[in-house]
Amino acid sequence: MSDLPPIPRPEQRPLPPAPGQRRIVLPPHRQRSRRPRSVRIREWVRKNLFPSRSGTLLTLVAGTILAGILTGAVYFVFVSANWEVITHNRWLLFAGGFPQGEAWRLWVSIAIVFTLIGLAYGTWSSMGRRDHLFVALVGAFVIFLMAHGGAAAWSSIYFLIAVACLYGGYLFTVRLPRETSTRRTWQQRIVGGLMALSLPVVLLILLVGGEVGPRNLDGFVLNLILAPVGIVGGIVLGIPLALGRASSMKSISWTCTAYIEIVRGAPLLGWLFVALFILDDIIGGDLIVRAMVVMAVFTGAYMAEYIRGALQALPRGQYEAAQAVGLTQTQRTRLIVMPQALRISIPPMVGQAISIWKDTTLVSVILPLRELKGNADSAISQFEFTPDRIEAYVFVSVIFWIVAFMMSRISQRVERAQGIGER
Amino acid sequence: MSQQPSTPLPPPDPVPLIFQRGFRRLVQQGAYIGVTALLAWYVYDALNLREFGFGFLDDPAAFKVANQWITDIDGVTNNRITMYLVGVWSSVRVIFVAILLSTLVGVVVGVARLSSNWLVARLAMLYVEVFRNTPLLMQVVLVYAIFLVGAPIIQEVLVIGDFAFISNRGLAIPWPVPDAGWWGVPDWFVGVWVALLIAVGIIAMTVRRQRQQLERDTGQPHFANRWAFGIFAVGALISFIALGLPVSIDRPIVEGTRYLEGIVIRPEFAALTIGLTLYTGAFNAEIVRGSIQALPRGQTEAANAVGLSAYQRMTLIILPQALRQMLPSITNQYLNVNKNSSLAYAVLYDDLFRVAGIIQNKAGHALEMFFVIIVTYMLISFLISVVMNFINARVTRVGV
Repeated sequence: MSDLPPIPRPEQRPLPPAPGQRRIVLPPHRQRSRRPRSVRIREWVRKNLFPSRSGTLLTLVAGTILAGILTGAVYFVFVSANWEVITHNRWLLFAGGFPQGEAWRLWVSIAIVFTLIGLAYGTWSSMGRRDHLFVALVGAFVIFLMAHGGAAAWSSIYFLIAVACLYGGYLFTVRLPRETSTRRTWQQRIVGGLMALSLPVVLLILLVGGEVGPRNLDGFVLNLILAPVGIVGGIVLGIPLALGRASSMKSISWTCTAYIEIVRGAPLLGWLFVALFILDDIIGGDLIVRAMVVMAVFTGAYMAEYIRGALQALPRGQYEAAQAVGLTQTQRTRLIVMPQALRISIPPMVGQAISIWKDTTLVSVILPLRELKGNADSAISQFEFTPDRIEAYVFVSVIFWIVAFMMSRISQRVERAQGIGER
Repeated sequence: MSQQPSTPLPPPDPVPLIFQRGFRRLVQQGAYIGVTALLAWYVYDALNLREFGFGFLDDPAAFKVANQWITDIDGVTNNRITMYLVGVWSSVRVIFVAILLSTLVGVVVGVARLSSNWLVARLAMLYVEVFRNTPLLMQVVLVYAIFLVGAPIIQEVLVIGDFAFISNRGLAIPWPVPDAGWWGVPDWFVGVWVALLIAVGIIAMTVRRQRQQLERDTGQPHFANRWAFGIFAVGALISFIALGLPVSIDRPIVEGTRYLEGIVIRPEFAALTIGLTLYTGAFNAEIVRGSIQALPRGQTEAANAVGLSAYQRMTLIILPQALRQMLPSITNQYLNVNKNSSLAYAVLYDDLFRVAGIIQNKAGHALEMFFVIIVTYMLISFLISVVMNFINARVTRVGV
């Protein structure tokens, strides 16, 4: 019996990795080939850039266009453009008529908002390499702007402090344990509450006391105030409007439908026309306040439509289950329907938020208010800067692009964190 | 155990009125209507609606409306409503051109974003990210600024091949106008020619349909499209010559500081249209990409399996199916183009909004003018919706 083959011993499994050293073993079909890097690069290039004769032609055409755009952009930014129109009018573009002596109000507000961004990032997400790069690039952009055309060392330092606040908030919350627990729920509630509180607090800081008032909101600061007011006001108006439109009571649903359709019927410029000529007789107040009201009223109609879409997308069973366990109508709406509907409607609502951010430029087209674009127009109306129209507009576009791009990235984060679109 | 006689249940207490559903709804609606009516009364009172009326629109306009196309309607003698309609026509032109071009841009860029060519996909992504995240207003004024700064002044007009002129007054190109022709026919003979063209078109379509039917019946190629096109081209040429060439080409000329003859594409119109096209095109591209990605992968694979080329795969299999998915969102974008055309105000293009603003400036009556504006925009939106619903019904006629 001794000629039986020996029982094969299982191969020695690799030792578990030493603590502090992680080793990820991919399944075989995902393991990278072991061919040398140069071969892999060559294969990638052939497959993605030169797959066939027509593919090569396409690559050449696209490459020429891209090279043309890039060289044109580099030539414009570094050679032909005269950026003095920007650096000379920094304060005009940033805050315009806001008294320079009260600048601390702006910096404190910025620090608060940056801290909240950091807290929110640490609570619901985490910052990857790209996010750090983005912050670094924006920071470098701002410092570069400050370093030209006169001393603004203190502004640079204040801005750096604000960025430090962002990272402080982020590092504070990102260390808290990530698993689901009451503690984490409370963390989210507190940060959410702080975010909800931040808008009135910032408005208080900016507008109350000293020699400042709504009239002093000017330049980029006006954009930064108008957009959140429009977004928050829009959501606050949009939820009851959406519920009203879906209501079974005819009088309520008809008036809500009429409101939504009439507001969506005219462009925002038309409603700003109303703010200028008609709203004065109805609510009075400062022109800036009227513009804010119009922004909120306008956004509210769009938000209501997105929330209504989400309400219709909810499965009927949710309503019925809520009824079956004996919830009242108010409880049903507050506990079952609204949380789910708001969650579904996050992506379109962020889209609307980006849209309203871009639309804050319209304020200076028709109203005698000067936001960033309006102040850029004032800058190029100065005698020595009249030829620098393109530079000023490019600068304004870049500023708007930075914020809008950031918002769209954050919305992607939120979607992923909430698992929207995954089921 | 003897069964105890069951006592009949006492009659249920009557539900108090305030807990009855019908009554509560009545009270809620009553309160709601009351509050709304109060608000409405307050607004009515504040606006002083007794002077509401549209009589002022019949007064002479006494202002100029620039950027007219072909027509040159005089703002001094005509009344305000006429000039407003001229503005509406200017808006409609911008909206029409921007919708067409933005669709084209959207389809091309949307397909390019999914290209297997890395560089092309990146280029398309760059376009989308740049133009979706900057304000439309900035795009319009930037294009306008580039025209104004980049184009030569009219005294140094740039001449292209002796028939087109470029300056900061716009691009002037030749344009066909009615002409007496060989036989000295009157102007309205162009109308006769157009009527003939329509007749020839109907004949061509009938032939095409017959050929298609033949193709279906016999399985042999009968070149329906080529026949139709050939009949139309020959018919158009013969009728044109038979009528004695009633159309001549009008070349533009520069006289002093303005263009005469020909047709002029003004920088205001170009800036607004290009801005709207680039901005809406970026959104359309995302819609096209999303609806292509929503198709099952099997469609691509099946197209490959039957040996279609990449172009055939896209135009015959992928895009027609993606069209069903993208139409509602694209319609939404078209409605946005309609409303965004009001940005003409920023480049001083005399569209309906700007003309309305001028009228309000001269005559007051802001409320009436706003009423007119919103009704016009709603009408144009309605027209776009009707057309798109018609297309949608045709596209979704065949179930999948």
